[in-house]
Amino acid sequence: MGKPNDLVQGMLDLLILKTISLEPKHGWAIAKRIQQISGDVLQVQQGSLYPALHRLEQKAWVKAKWMESDTGRKAKYYSLTAAGRAQLEKEAANWDRLSGAINLVIQSA
Amino acid sequence: MLWLRRICLQSKTLFSCRRITDQLDDEIQFHLDQQTAEYVLAGMSPEEARHAAMRTFGNRTLLKEKTMDTWGWGRVDQLGQDLRYGFRALRKGPLFTAVAVLTLALGIGANTAMFSLLDQVVLRLLPVSHPEQLVIVRETGNHYGNSYGPNTISWPMFEDLRDHNQVFSGMFCRFPASVTIGGDRAAQIPAELVSGLYFPTLGIGAALGRTIAPDDDAVPDSSPVVVLSYSFWQSYFNGDRKIVGQTIVLNSHPMTVIGVAQPGFDGVVLGAPAKVFVPITMKTEMTPHSDGLKDRRRRLSWVTAYGRLNPGVSPQQAQVSLQPLLHGILEMEAQQPEFTRSATAADRELFLRNRIELLPGSENKLREYMRRPLWLLVALTGAVLLLACANLANLLLARATAREREFAVRLAIGAGRARIVCQLLVESLLLSAAGAVVGLALAFLADRVLLRIYLPADAAAEFVVSPIPDGRVLAFAVGAMLLTSLVFGLMPAVRGSRTEITLSLKDRSGALSSGGISLRRMLVGIQVALSLLLLVGAGLFVRTLRNLENLGPGFPTDHLLTFTIDPSLNGYSDEQTKSFFERLNLNLQTMPGITSVGLSTMPILKGYAWQNAIVGKDFEGVPIEQQPILSEVGPDYFATLGIPIIAGRPFTLQDDVDRRGSNEYAYAVINESFARKYFPGREPIGQRFGLVNDMQPVKPDIEVIGVIPDRKYRDLRETPPAQAYFPYFQGPHFRFVNIYLRTQGDPRQIEDQLLERMRQFDPHVPVVGLQTVNEQIGFSLRTERLVASLSAIFGGLATVLAAIGLYGVMAYTVTRRTREFGLRVALGALQRDVIWLVMRDVLILIAAGLAVGVPLALALSTLVRSQVFGLGPHDPLTLVSSTLALALVACVAGLIPALRASRVDPLQSLRTE
Repeated sequence: MGKPNDLVQGMLDLLILKTISLEPKHGWAIAKRIQQISGDVLQVQQGSLYPALHRLEQKAWVKAKWMESDTGRKAKYYSLTAAGRAQLEKEAANWDRLSGAINLVIQSA
Repeated sequence: MLWLRRICLQSKTLFSCRRITDQLDDEIQFHLDQQTAEYVLAGMSPEEARHAAMRTFGNRTLLKEKTMDTWGWGRVDQLGQDLRYGFRALRKGPLFTAVAVLTLALGIGANTAMFSLLDQVVLRLLPVSHPEQLVIVRETGNHYGNSYGPNTISWPMFEDLRDHNQVFSGMFCRFPASVTIGGDRAAQIPAELVSGLYFPTLGIGAALGRTIAPDDDAVPDSSPVVVLSYSFWQSYFNGDRKIVGQTIVLNSHPMTVIGVAQPGFDGVVLGAPAKVFVPITMKTEMTPHSDGLKDRRRRLSWVTAYGRLNPGVSPQQAQVSLQPLLHGILEMEAQQPEFTRSATAADRELFLRNRIELLPGSENKLREYMRRPLWLLVALTGAVLLLACANLANLLLARATAREREFAVRLAIGAGRARIVCQLLVESLLLSAAGAVVGLALAFLADRVLLRIYLPADAAAEFVVSPIPDGRVLAFAVGAMLLTSLVFGLMPAVRGSRTEITLSLKDRSGALSSGGISLRRMLVGIQVALSLLLLVGAGLFVRTLRNLENLGPGFPTDHLLTFTIDPSLNGYSDEQTKSFFERLNLNLQTMPGITSVGLSTMPILKGYAWQNAIVGKDFEGVPIEQQPILSEVGPDYFATLGIPIIAGRPFTLQDDVDRRGSNEYAYAVINESFARKYFPGREPIGQRFGLVNDMQPVKPDIEVIGVIPDRKYRDLRETPPAQAYFPYFQGPHFRFVNIYLRTQGDPRQIEDQLLERMRQFDPHVPVVGLQTVNEQIGFSLRTERLVASLSAIFGGLATVLAAIGLYGVMAYTVTRRTREFGLRVALGALQRDVIWLVMRDVLILIAAGLAVGVPLALALSTLVRSQVFGLGPHDPLTLVSSTLALALVACVAGLIPALRASRVDPLQSLRTE
């Protein structure tokens, strides 16, 4: 594996929304989770993770709460809002369409 | 509702910025600790793990900034930075900032103030509904009879026009009069006599009670009612709401107050507010000395008629359609004996050519009188604005050049060009804003002061001056200055951002870039030219004022006090009034400090004139422009004014006794012009003439008993016209009188005593307009004084600004050429050679400016021909002295850098390389 793949902004948003759709998570856990699930293919740069989280928060798609973590320290946990859930569905559907289309093009060629 | 939440979130981050930034720090720290813990689990030492975690995390500060950017306040934050930096930069150069702000304030303030004054005094329409439909209906040409002014017509003429026109939805007329309001606080107040449709046609309602209705003016003398102006109701009656239905005494007649007019309405003459409105059918009661209404004299024009045009009818159309109506009336009038008695066949032909002319309803004497001077001042301030722009441009260019290295440094350490332009933009805006604020304050103050100078004290207090200066001009002036500051503030930034950074940074010694020096030289040239224009204007107007002041009326005015008094307004009969003045004359003669008492029906040097056609053995009626100017005077009038009798004798009390009761003048004193005009080549004493009267034929039997030299009568500018004086106590009527008192000492010191003495003499008759004749003359020259002082101030400021500009450019040039001068001195050039080198440049600049300025000044000064007095518009003294003064000041400004250049130490200047 060479350089970790840079994620374009829209994709990163989708991944974040999906990752926290089940339960609230803090920033580090989100990055870790994405890396694990993707089998180390997708590595989220901290340089883009936190700006993305704050941007989503400003857009009111995610809300944040300071809660105690496993280690007993307070951490900032992000969870989906109702608007965020709607946005996730929209973007996931979008992604399905797009990747399906790209697949079609690539396989037919 | 998502957007609402977003706005809430955004404002929360803005207002609790510090807390949120701290939380971000915590969040990042937590992330690092988690990572460290993971690395420790993987077997690293805690120290190693911490470093590794930080390494993978990357630039923490950058991340923080990027995150904070997502909060959406980056631009605001940056603007705040720019503002703070701008303030600091402006504070660091206090001299630059002060001069720039003052320049801006001068440009904005002078223009806004002057135009607001022009707008409010000359351009503004009346505060009535649809003021543009309102017109004054006047008759052009000679009226052949007695007249109260150029815009008046007779009462029967008004009725004819009102009842037979097809173009007006309503017509009314008015007559201004002074009435005495009785009671403890007896005072003379301005009243407006109005016809029945006055208020309905203007569309003015009542704040309280009702206004005058058509019914009120049905039958003469039958409606003793009065409407108060809102401001008079407030000031005199303290806004007492119970005033409606009460009775006040006007000219000794009880009048019922029926209402208060709506606020802001003071009559139809801007600048001459009326305090009470009375039906015109009460004319006899309000003006006891003349009628004109009930006697239906057609040869006495006194009412000003107004019409409201029907919708869709233009003034031109209305004017045309009124001509046949007027012609019919004139044909009828020309048959009447009143007309034929004083007019010849040639007069009749001229008379029938009279026409109707419609003027804007807001037209009045004050406006006519102030229009030219005010436009002139507006033009002057326009020049000041141009000059201020040039000066500001020059300042900004100089400053930007001085900051070239600063920009280079900022570019070098990574500032974006857009960011630098933005920074300069903010600085320009800051400067302009400060200038606009100071300028507005200046304009506001200036307008108050100017209006106070211009309007009678009484009117200025009530004249509604909008405290908000005219928006259009403010926008224009601020816009012009803003544009200047943007263009010239940004030009160097754009250019500067193109220059080689390294070159600018490396070059420490001072080979500064050319810095737009040719542009700056051009700006200085423009400043010199504009300054010359303003200086020439100032010279012309100041010399005009001096000429008028030095000229004087032709008699000594230093110890002369005057006031007006009218007992007939208290209901005094002719006999009572006559006795009043006879007793007053004696009473004042015995007052300590007074050497002589004169009285006259016509005031001198106030622009008023009583004119009448005269007949004699060899001459008959003459056109009104050539009619002699007349007055009735008391026995000691000429002695009091210090006018000598050069032939014959003055009036004596004996003259009055001789002809008491005959109601006709027996004697006259004339001036030399009168004698020359009507009795050429003859001994004037003993000659006879008569006053043409439209009521009955007259015989020339007034005998000339004395001759006085020519003295000014109406104003200081006039060439004394033919004048004739009659003995006051012999006249047919006794009405208001102007008293002139010659005092021993300073006349102002006995003013209080005099008022007290007058109160004791008769507490019911108010003394009006007590002032020295010098004060009166000073007031009559207020326009000239205003124009002269403002143009002098502008001229002086312009010269200072031009000098600053020239100094700045030369100082900069000298700095740039320091090495060259050092080299020259090293090679043997003398001090004066170096001075000459610089001064040659200065002289070229000045000469270029003057070469543009002089022809421009010559061309423009012809436009002010009517405003100058006693000198030509191309007055050589003014032109030469302005040019010399400007050149001198500019040379001094240029000499300072030249001297500095000459003191350059060659060793030092060459070593700096």
